Amino acid sequence: MSDEPEIRKMKESDVGAVMDMIHRLKLLNQEFDPTFQVAEPPADEVKESLREAIRQEKQYIMLVVEAEGKAVGVVKADIHNRIYYLPRQEARITEFYVMPEFRRKMLGKKLISQLYSELGRRGITMVSAEFPSLNLIALGFYKGMGYRDIVSVYGRHLGDE
Amino acid sequence: MLEHENSENGGESERTDRFKELALKYSRFYKGKVNTFPKVPVRSLNDFSIWYTPGVAAVSLEIARDRDQSFELTGRWNSTAILTDGTRVLGLGNVGPEAAMAVMEGKALIFNYLGAVNAIPIPVRAADREQFIGVAKALEPSFGGYNLEDIESPKCFYIQEKLQQELNIPVWHDDQLGTACITLAGLINALRVVDKKLKDVKVVLMGSGAANIATAKLIIAAGVRAGNIRMVDSGGVIDSERKDLDSMMINNPWKYELALSTNSDRIKGEASKAFEGADVVLSASRQGPGTIRPEWIRSMNGKGIVFALANPVPEIWPRLALESGAAVVSTGRSDFPNQINNSLVFPGVFRGALDARATGVNIEIMLSASREIADFVSDPGPERIVPTMEEWELYPRVASAVAAKASEMGLARKSGSREFFFKTAHELIESNRNMYRRMLEEKYIRNLPGGGEDE
Repeated sequence: MSDEPEIRKMKESDVGAVMDMIHRLKLLNQEFDPTFQVAEPPADEVKESLREAIRQEKQYIMLVVEAEGKAVGVVKADIHNRIYYLPRQEARITEFYVMPEFRRKMLGKKLISQLYSELGRRGITMVSAEFPSLNLIALGFYKGMGYRDIVSVYGRHLGDE
Repeated sequence: MLEHENSENGGESERTDRFKELALKYSRFYKGKVNTFPKVPVRSLNDFSIWYTPGVAAVSLEIARDRDQSFELTGRWNSTAILTDGTRVLGLGNVGPEAAMAVMEGKALIFNYLGAVNAIPIPVRAADREQFIGVAKALEPSFGGYNLEDIESPKCFYIQEKLQQELNIPVWHDDQLGTACITLAGLINALRVVDKKLKDVKVVLMGSGAANIATAKLIIAAGVRAGNIRMVDSGGVIDSERKDLDSMMINNPWKYELALSTNSDRIKGEASKAFEGADVVLSASRQGPGTIRPEWIRSMNGKGIVFALANPVPEIWPRLALESGAAVVSTGRSDFPNQINNSLVFPGVFRGALDARATGVNIEIMLSASREIADFVSDPGPERIVPTMEEWELYPRVASAVAAKASEMGLARKSGSREFFFKTAHELIESNRNMYRRMLEEKYIRNLPGGGEDE
């Protein structure tokens, strides 16, 4: 790599690469837990939802790592308004992926760090991350970043006895 | 094409069927291929007071004071367990430990015949890899080394690594390490023949099972640039952007590591793409013919090297590979030149590791074994890149290289010069051969039923 990877806001031109990375993330989740059986994603719908996330800047934060001229990492955080709790706003990381070739270069941590900076600018002081309970890689990553289990979502397929 | 293949096939399946028929018949007759036999004189029953109680108590006490004395006062120094769970036996798959015994006995026979190693076949019924590891750890006090055999991939990587980390004896997995060593030895000489260098060549590793993963690691250690390696599996060329990489990371981290470090040309797509502009093909893949196509060979660089190692039918017939432009071709078969055969490696490796009372094996020791095997061939040519099994001097040569390297690396309980270890190994192997020959001559080993005339 000649150029240092750059972390920046996601652009329209990143949509294809980001869609691919999110699909990879879902496949990874499936590896850990077959409950998350991945369907072939409807490309147009996914692309539109990503474009919508870029447009709705107040509701979403979407950052990418760019290296070698393309997006090789992504973080997506949804901003939630909390009616009953303080602080009133919470950023929840829902998508987070770095391409295999670019791992072990601290890019994941840098992405999260850049997200914190963005949250700081917005005055948001609460952050959470949503991932399948059996995804041990995500679990290790967030625990290492000082996160702990704050809410549980239990699920089952109906008909499974 | 078809005619060509048939002529080289030469009734292979009939020959194989005949071997199978004889193996069944003789196995029923001999009821096992190896045995334990006393090696001390019993002049009268009074001698049991020396070899057994009460005299033997002194030996036990001595070992209790210093466990390493078990290598000097008992047969541990020369004893190797052949451990398997029977999950990947030959091409048969998971046939279970009882069925694996027949194969492990065969391996023990080769260990003894070529390397004078007292090898004990131990197929294990293990529910999972941790249970297998538990059994192996528990048996360590009885052996000077372990040869893991016919364990499915990728479990075999985990077991070998874990045991080698935790035990103080060499833990060898022949399907990986033995194959890697002889492949590298052959490659070194093939490159001498075509006048190319390890650091310059582009290498296709066709098949990404245990053997080729180990081979990739070894050839990188020998000087091949990781980026110059193109690994191919059933999904095509492995590149760092392939969608199954995360699955690989979880299920086969050894392959994943290679996926990240190899293929710097970022070749994607079908296997044929990997061959374009390559200098070497090391194939341990689905048996052929037709797994490797002649046009793929034609797309390689000039003076190509092709190892088609699938058994019994290579991925491409040697003559066809040569006609397609390859300069050096080898297979896993004895009826073609350049047989890449683990039996050229493990008897000498274990002889050396045992003679040095080694505490482990590592990649440096493997490299020294490979280089010794390559250097043993004084006049490499297109049809002579590896020794043959009949060249008896090979085994003590490999043994001495391994023992000396283990000693140099601080992995030996017993140190000595290269010459010392050569002499030790040579005498042991020769004496064992003489004993075996005498037993045959004296008919203590029974003749084949029917005098072997069935063959």
